[in-house]
Amino acid sequence: MTPVVVPDRTPKKKSKGPKIKPSPAARRRSLTGWAFLLPAAVLIGIMMFWPMFQALILSFKTGRGSALDFADPLWFNYERMLSDEIFKMTVGTTLLYLAIQVPLMLVTALVLANILNNPRLKFKGFWRTAIFLPAAISLVSYSLVFRTIFATDGLVNDWLLALHLIDGPVNWLGNTDTARMVIILGLLWRWTGYNMIFYLAGLQNIDPTTLEAAKMDGAGPIRTFFSVTVPQLKPMILLTVIMSTNGTLQLFDESFNLTRGGPANTTMTMSHYLYEVSFVNNPNFGYGAALSYVILVMVAILAAIQMKVGDKRD
Amino acid sequence: MKKLRTGMALAATATFALSLAACSSGGSTDDASGGASGDGEAMGNSLTVWAWDPAFNIYALQEAEKVYQADHPDFTLDIQEVTWEDLQTKLTTLAQSQEFGELPDIFLMQNNAFQKNVINYPDLFTDITDSGVAFDEFPEGVTAYSTVDGMNYGVPFDAGTAINAMRTDILEEAGLTLDDFTDITWDEYIALGEQVLEKTGKPMLSGIAGEPDTILMMLQSAGQSLFDDQGNPTITDNAALAASIDLYSEMVEKGIYLEVNSWDEYIASIVNGNVASTINGVWISGSIQTAEDQSGLWGVTDLPAVDGIDGATHYSANGGSSWAVSSNADVALAEDFLSATFAGSTELYDTILPGAGAVANWLPAGDSEVYSEPQEFFGGQAIYADVLSFAAGVPANNTGAYYYEARDAVGAAITQIMGGADPATALGEAQSTVEFAMN
Amino acid sequence: MTSKLREVPKYAFLSIVALLSVGPLYFMVVSATNTSQDVLASSMLPGTNLLANWQSLTEFQDVGAAMYHSTVNAVLTTVLALVVSSIAGYGFEVYHSPNKDRLMWVLMLAMMIPFAATMIPLFQLFADLGMVNSAFAVVLPVIATPLLILLFRQSARSFPHEIIEAARMDGLKEFSIFWKMFVPTMRPTYAAAAVITFMAAWNNFLWPKVILVNSDYQTMPMLISNFTGGYVIDYGALMLAVLIASLPTIVIFFVLQRSFVAGFTGVVK
Repeated sequence: MTPVVVPDRTPKKKSKGPKIKPSPAARRRSLTGWAFLLPAAVLIGIMMFWPMFQALILSFKTGRGSALDFADPLWFNYERMLSDEIFKMTVGTTLLYLAIQVPLMLVTALVLANILNNPRLKFKGFWRTAIFLPAAISLVSYSLVFRTIFATDGLVNDWLLALHLIDGPVNWLGNTDTARMVIILGLLWRWTGYNMIFYLAGLQNIDPTTLEAAKMDGAGPIRTFFSVTVPQLKPMILLTVIMSTNGTLQLFDESFNLTRGGPANTTMTMSHYLYEVSFVNNPNFGYGAALSYVILVMVAILAAIQMKVGDKRD
Repeated sequence: MKKLRTGMALAATATFALSLAACSSGGSTDDASGGASGDGEAMGNSLTVWAWDPAFNIYALQEAEKVYQADHPDFTLDIQEVTWEDLQTKLTTLAQSQEFGELPDIFLMQNNAFQKNVINYPDLFTDITDSGVAFDEFPEGVTAYSTVDGMNYGVPFDAGTAINAMRTDILEEAGLTLDDFTDITWDEYIALGEQVLEKTGKPMLSGIAGEPDTILMMLQSAGQSLFDDQGNPTITDNAALAASIDLYSEMVEKGIYLEVNSWDEYIASIVNGNVASTINGVWISGSIQTAEDQSGLWGVTDLPAVDGIDGATHYSANGGSSWAVSSNADVALAEDFLSATFAGSTELYDTILPGAGAVANWLPAGDSEVYSEPQEFFGGQAIYADVLSFAAGVPANNTGAYYYEARDAVGAAITQIMGGADPATALGEAQSTVEFAMN
Repeated sequence: MTSKLREVPKYAFLSIVALLSVGPLYFMVVSATNTSQDVLASSMLPGTNLLANWQSLTEFQDVGAAMYHSTVNAVLTTVLALVVSSIAGYGFEVYHSPNKDRLMWVLMLAMMIPFAATMIPLFQLFADLGMVNSAFAVVLPVIATPLLILLFRQSARSFPHEIIEAARMDGLKEFSIFWKMFVPTMRPTYAAAAVITFMAAWNNFLWPKVILVNSDYQTMPMLISNFTGGYVIDYGALMLAVLIASLPTIVIFFVLQRSFVAGFTGVVK
């Protein structure tokens, strides 16, 4: 188990000591590394960064329809957001979804993956497929089902009334707090199984001898989970945290399909508002582009913190 | 060995997939714009059209194609099905990226979105004022949607004329008839509604909470809009709007109006017989008729008038759509096709009325006998003749370019008012939301 | 015996989660056999309207063509994305350097902007290339995704570097190490990546809808959208369409989930 020291893995500190010229083999390997990245980097550059650059320019323009001019001052669209009550509300709502849903979902997914990874578990394929199912089901039927069961005369009220947990039917989708709760439940339902598969895949790369070693040391399943499994899954956990942060801050589907943003825009997400501004309302693409960049900056800041905390190589 | 096989399988799949893609995309870029040939050329014999709803608009197009083919045997229509939401996204994308070459010859457009699109993207449209289409053969309230600065951009098709469709059996249970609800005011309607609720336990109406459709129909019936002639929002200081919201609140409070949360629930409340009636565009009759067990139990009358408003009528509209000729069209052919069919063929309207329940906006079509035929589902009432007589009285609605902003803002205000907020404050906020969107 | 008893809560928990997950699928299957009116009344019992729903589904819509286009797009995307992104992810981790870490970070910015903002410039790009309506235009923007690259980069972190060193000693070329050592070991990661990529490509809606101007090339999500766009929605037929559209992802997952078995044993001999 002695780790082999790989020459080009040691980061070179430029400030310390005399500059060492890398060996030709190491240089060739570094070049190979760049060659590995090239196709993906070029594609992302053309397909994503070029349009992003144009969107950035657009965010400094005002005007309606296709007649756009540079704004005066240039940051006009960004300044405009400060007095946009609807946008400010969507920021709050989206952050609320993020704070509640992401931790709940990822912990549940991690627990489920750990249970399903047990080699002695029976009907593994069935459990896995069943729990993944929500992610595969078309949005159309999922939103229809959720709206139906949370309707005032729907299944949820029927059950709660039968159990005497509530006195009268609750208008789940008609009140701000409960409608937001339905959206969070919908997200949990749809994405927990999806995140679980990343953990399942990650668990397969864990060296089984480390788990056996922990067992020999007398650690129970819970301690093994926290002190052996979780640390080794850290790269995958970081991935899912970044992915769900990104997904939630750009959330559109649930807001658009489950509640249409209502009641009175209180469940609307930032991306849903962006869509309204661009394609439903009188089109204001300069403002829409500025909104997109605010979303980008918000995701980038959170992802940067997450990378800083979670992306250390030991 | 196994790895090699995996690799080969992967490569084979990739090649296969690539060749599939090549097949499916081969030559497609050439016919992308369909039959749309440039202006000024000789008239071709094919048109591409974007429209939605196969059972309604697309069916009507197919019938129009047949009608036109009688005189032009070589003529064909290439009909592309696109939902309204998707059509708007496509139009916006093409206009915003200035790729007008991908436009079809003709596209269908929601009346409520017409002003917005013409004002923002005039380059998408062809001005068809002098096309030979007799615009004076359509109700003025309907051509107004697609008229900007006195120029016509659309041929009206689907009428959004509002109807008050009622379950006669439920009314009977409460000791009432359709006549009791004809030519009345909303105050009278609410009194009768309480009677129905008491006797049958069923509310009169249902609608989606936060969607202002009912209120906007009331507003239009009173001859008012959310915008004035200059396009400024008139959400505050609008007596008709305030009166409509009061009536709406009163109905919800008294349990006469059932608020639901989605379109599915709204339709369900009708077809499952949970409400005594519904008020909406005549196109709602299509959904009503999916409840086959209710055949013969429905009747149609006009809307109650808003009390205390000068010029309040019993007629309104919701939705509806018109045909637009694109800037990339074979203009001569497109104009000739529309004049000869949707703006000139009684035969067409005689076919699509029974075939799809598509009620004409084109007034001469109403003279046809087909319109006075009794409808079995509606208890033998000749509802389409009635609808046409309603249509003539519908006041114009000034949508302006910011219709959707105003609609959403009013919807949010209503939600707040129903939650107990002061109406004047909530409407004031709605007004400033729209003003904010406009600056 | 005691250990058997300890298993009970685990299976109970799994059963509850599975029931909640399968419930809406059950509703979808049942609804596909019911009339529109029964679907709206939330009938939970199978009906006899399946054939009629199929007829009303196929009356106006070419389901076969839409399934074909969706399959081509999804398969093409999955194969290309897995190849391009896994090579890049491997490169980022195995040959990592501060500059490559920085580049990774920059590339990740690309997934943080809402697509609604970049769609129009992207459309312009493909229109200028004359690629409107082509399957490649649907696929190209989604084969190199920061998410997939990150997935392979993170997975490569647990790939033992001893193996790489040993292979280099044996004189294996760098690409061969990737192809012969990394790819087979990372089968679980490839399975997960294939599932999420296929699913995303299959359900992709906004971009195909815009770039496939001609609706002759429409995919399943577009077909379903057409179903909800009319005045009268036939909910029974809609649920049948939705059921058909959901099946491929479910089948692919069911087949690939078998790959979630330890990858280590296969390589460390």
